[in-house]
Amino acid sequence: MLDIKPIFNAIRRSKIGAVLLLLQIALTMSIVSNAAFMINDHVSYLRKDTGFPEKEIFSFAVMTFGKDRSLSQQAEVDETMIRNLPGVINATLSQAVPLSGGGSTSTMRLRPSPETSKSVSVAYYNTDEHGLETFGVKLIEGRNFRPEEVIIGDDFNGNGPNTIIVSQPFVEALFPDGNALGQTVYFSNRPLQIIGIVETMKSPWPSSDRDEITALVPFIDAKNYQHIVVRADKNERANIMANIEQNMLDAYDKRVIINVDGLDKTKENYDATDVLMMRMLIVLVVILLLITALGIFGLTQFNISKRTKQIGTRRALGARKSAIVRYFLIENTMVCMAGLFIGGVAAVVLGDVMMKTYSISSLELEFIVGTAIFIFAMSIFAVIFPAMRAANISPSIATRSI
Amino acid sequence: MLTMNNVSKIYQTNSVQTHALRDFSLTVNEGEFIAVTGPSGSGKTTFLNIAGLLEPFTSGQYTLDGVDIGGLSDNQTADLRNQKIGYIFQGFNLIPDLNLYENVEVPLRYRGIAAKERKIRIEQCLEQVGLASRAKHLPQQLSGGQQQRVAIARALAGKPRFLLADEPTGNLDSLMARQVMELLEEINKNGATIVMVTHDAELARRAPRNIQVVDGQLADFTLYQGKPTLAATRDNETVVASGV
Repeated sequence: MLDIKPIFNAIRRSKIGAVLLLLQIALTMSIVSNAAFMINDHVSYLRKDTGFPEKEIFSFAVMTFGKDRSLSQQAEVDETMIRNLPGVINATLSQAVPLSGGGSTSTMRLRPSPETSKSVSVAYYNTDEHGLETFGVKLIEGRNFRPEEVIIGDDFNGNGPNTIIVSQPFVEALFPDGNALGQTVYFSNRPLQIIGIVETMKSPWPSSDRDEITALVPFIDAKNYQHIVVRADKNERANIMANIEQNMLDAYDKRVIINVDGLDKTKENYDATDVLMMRMLIVLVVILLLITALGIFGLTQFNISKRTKQIGTRRALGARKSAIVRYFLIENTMVCMAGLFIGGVAAVVLGDVMMKTYSISSLELEFIVGTAIFIFAMSIFAVIFPAMRAANISPSIATRSI
Repeated sequence: MLTMNNVSKIYQTNSVQTHALRDFSLTVNEGEFIAVTGPSGSGKTTFLNIAGLLEPFTSGQYTLDGVDIGGLSDNQTADLRNQKIGYIFQGFNLIPDLNLYENVEVPLRYRGIAAKERKIRIEQCLEQVGLASRAKHLPQQLSGGQQQRVAIARALAGKPRFLLADEPTGNLDSLMARQVMELLEEINKNGATIVMVTHDAELARRAPRNIQVVDGQLADFTLYQGKPTLAATRDNETVVASGV
């Protein structure tokens, strides 16, 4: 580090190129660290366990136009028919399909309104005693619904259910002490006793920030348009999906079967926009990094061509080749460090603004440090080859007119 | 101090060979002050570059202060340049982004001299060339003569035993040129061996020994007790002339 002071002084006295590069590095640092954080956040989300065995589940929508059957009775007939198909593990009627982007939420509270009490917004699935097994979620406490606890009808407040199964994050949100089993929560002022707790069960909106606060409600309100969720052996699922429309129409033909999709495909569709955005972000980051690397490379090249005689003179005065390489590395390191420091501060500010504006998580320090290390390594890579070429400039250049 | 025996330098470009030096032989003794003259393109600068270890030679033998230059690595050559040779360039070759102090400091840093010792040497050398008060100035704030004095200070700072000057007054007016020459003479009196390439005949005459390079070969004018003698080597044949 023998040369730091004169190199710093030289940069200070000839600063335009260095300042431009510093700003470019700072800009890259602030954008890339935030983008990397967002990408990582999204990749984590995509890899996160949803609680559902996605490759075993599929769903479809039934649009009934026939008026000659009771929808609730037909639903029971359909479920039984599907459960008897070879390879099917279970099936249930549900007003919402997991991970699909469409469903229902409601506020559940510890006391009925208008009393004030702790409350939480919950995404819920209206289903029956087959819901737990069909969804494939893991029950960690309590029990499943009994058939007699499942209410079939359309008057939730008048003749609604009395029980509920909730997710562990639900418990953590409403019962921080963890003692939730057997407790009562109020859903539209209807008291529901918690009889079971499942480990993980994502809502229909898996990318939302409260996607794990969910519940199963034993209530079947069959309508003209409804969803049936089926769980099958994953090796049989494709075959069952291919025949389900015909099976359903064979059972009753005054209806239309649509949107037969595996749960993995459903999630893929739900994530498609986000994945596209993420890919665009990755492309943007790569372009930005390339531009910065080219900027560093270009500036070093420019400095070398501008200082050919100076480099020759330094060599004539006794500089080893390694001293010339070190000179450019130190010069680059100084500019880079200043840029990374300013960029780091800018990244925190940008992250804070984005957190407040778009309700995303706050930027973590490790992403700032990681990005800084990456950009620094990239800058060394961009500068090392021109610097090595500079080191090969002959000292005899010092005596030549160029 | 310096001995060259049949040193040749050939520049090769595609199919063209240029003989910049041909069987060049010269001995420079410790404490000598030699002026090298010759027409443009005669090989003066090539000789200076080889003598100063700035470029390699094609064949022959070159010994500097007892060290055979032929087999040295690049690092060894750089170290030898740094420790034994001081350079004064025609265009001064000061680094524009560094002030005078930092310019003089450059070779000392490469030698790894401690900061305290560097400071003493730099201040001494700038004092010697009369620019101590302008140590914080940038080269472009000085006149040509002053810049060349800084370059001399830089060359002296490493306490070299061998000083090479390439047209040191080439970019200066006659007054400045005289001042620089007087400075070189003073440095020579203090014990440094100086080889100076110049076009200026008057300046060359002030040096005790003159050599002339013609077509990459040497013609040597030496003052012996006030009588000049010409010793020229051409095609490996030595010619001696008196009374030139």
